[in-house]
Amino acid sequence: MSAIAEPTTTATTTPTPQPPNAAQPRGLGRLSLANRQALTGYLLALPALALLLGLVAYPFFFAIWIAFTDRIVGRAGHWVGFDNFRYLFNNPSFLKTVQNTIIMVVVSDAAKLVIGLGLAMLLNQAVVGRGLMRALIMIPWAMPGFIAFLVWRLLYQPIGGGINLILTQTGIHPEVIDWLGQKSTALPAVIVATVWRGFPFWAISFLAALQGIPEDLYEAAKVDGASGWQRFWDITIPQIRPVILIVALMSSIWTANSFENIWIMTQGGPSDATMVFPVLAYFGMQTQRLGEAAAVSVSMIPALLILVFLVTALIKDDD
Amino acid sequence: MQGLPRYGPTTAFPSGPASPASGEIRADVRWYRQPRVRKMGALLGIYVIMIAVAAIVIFPVYWMFSISLKLPKEIYRMPSLVPDNPTWANYRTLIEKKDYLTNIRNSIIVSSSVTVVSLLISSFAAYSIVRFRYRFRGLVGRIILLTYLTPGSLLFIPLSIIVAKLHLGNSLYGLVILYLTFSIPLSTWLLSGYFRSVPADLEEQAMVDGTSQLGALFRILLPLSLPGLAAVAIFTFTAAWNELLFALIFITSEEKRTVPLGLQYLMTGDVLLWGPIMAGATLAALPVMLLYFIAQRFMVRGVTAGSVKG
Repeated sequence: MSAIAEPTTTATTTPTPQPPNAAQPRGLGRLSLANRQALTGYLLALPALALLLGLVAYPFFFAIWIAFTDRIVGRAGHWVGFDNFRYLFNNPSFLKTVQNTIIMVVVSDAAKLVIGLGLAMLLNQAVVGRGLMRALIMIPWAMPGFIAFLVWRLLYQPIGGGINLILTQTGIHPEVIDWLGQKSTALPAVIVATVWRGFPFWAISFLAALQGIPEDLYEAAKVDGASGWQRFWDITIPQIRPVILIVALMSSIWTANSFENIWIMTQGGPSDATMVFPVLAYFGMQTQRLGEAAAVSVSMIPALLILVFLVTALIKDDD
Repeated sequence: MQGLPRYGPTTAFPSGPASPASGEIRADVRWYRQPRVRKMGALLGIYVIMIAVAAIVIFPVYWMFSISLKLPKEIYRMPSLVPDNPTWANYRTLIEKKDYLTNIRNSIIVSSSVTVVSLLISSFAAYSIVRFRYRFRGLVGRIILLTYLTPGSLLFIPLSIIVAKLHLGNSLYGLVILYLTFSIPLSTWLLSGYFRSVPADLEEQAMVDGTSQLGALFRILLPLSLPGLAAVAIFTFTAAWNELLFALIFITSEEKRTVPLGLQYLMTGDVLLWGPIMAGATLAALPVMLLYFIAQRFMVRGVTAGSVKG
């Protein structure tokens, strides 16, 4: 799922609809107009709020609680303080998970930034075929994620995989490589597939942002004798910086928490070379030791909170 | 034009020789620096990059389809870029032996239910946030944003306990409720963007004429936001169609598997049946990708509405 949308809290004063004939006190009508407004507002938001508080907010805090207990499936368990976290921080799988997640987020964000911005600038020019191109780069994004990663798993296969076929037949690398099966190539391979799936969102967001930059800024800079690079760094980048930041932050949250890419391609293997938080937590859950499994997810909350805080702050500033 | 960086002396006319019109041949520079040659070079570069990107984007999709037409013999023994003897046998295996149609049916039930329920609940919530004034309106908006940013991978362990208590496990109905946890924040978020772009005058006019507030939502605001609604519906449908993690945890019986789950269970054993798997992938990807392309224009607008406004 990938989308950014308009912030829901604006400072703008929306004109309040005035119900007609407000002077008939019947049912809700006995309340004052403003109160009736407020009540209807609350009632309309209630189904959404109830569901989100019950099935997102409550589980969120419940997860934190579980992480401090020795809960197993079928038994609520007792408070054990930081035992689960102590156990995790001495666990090589967990340490590898932290390392992998940081590498994945940083490398794939950087790659998506460069590719996305480059493509957006390219497609922002009046060249023949850019309409077709714009439709084409939607393909990875339009493809269901689990299918994209399924196909990439196939592409990486030693036998039957398209990548090895091309490499061996063109003579670029005559020996077959087991991309997902060996420790040295598994993480880079997974990152490439993740970038393939993720770059269109960046490119499209950037393209829309570029189209919002007033042309006369560039004209004026040209008149002043600014070079292409100067125009890029002094006009393009500052103008689309908010978009870059929001896209990068949201994408970091999704990348750090994406389950299906790893689950489908490697299940975290070989020997934890591609292990990430959600997969480790999933395996933890299968061992029935819910306390430790929850601690895996919960231990990334601090980093997540920082990212979320930055996103909300940015979106607020945007108003 | 304030805040514009300045470059050197700001004269309206750059110093030095006036730049030549493009295409003009200048005697004082080498051939490869001639404006026309440079322009052609740049264009050539652009097209080389565009073709490379197109190839990288298309190849996996092509490979998925081409493997789906191959028998194991052709996949493993004589790999080639183009299938020599294309066959629909994999599709037949998938549908006749693997009961793939049940997976598809389950996915359609779950995804369309999520879409309908989510659109309804989210329309109410977005309407409330955009058009009503009350004390905690800002907080409601914040809650929706925060829940949108809360990844499902953080919630599945506590949810497994809650779902077991509510007896929602192993049912499509339970899956629909779980999927609302990610679709409602997304839909509300997007819809409130669309609603805000519709001027309130028309609804006010209708209410002066005696329409209720709910009537104004259904008869004025929603019809006017139809493109937005379509985009949100497609987003929601595909997000539910693609979901793997919750389905993997909460669906345990074979006849209730959704498409991602059905494909995931084809991937067991040492030798993967890539032919049927890719046939299933093709069948599952095509409708969704078609939807995306039909709604492409609205989608792009929807996705970038917030980050790029103004």
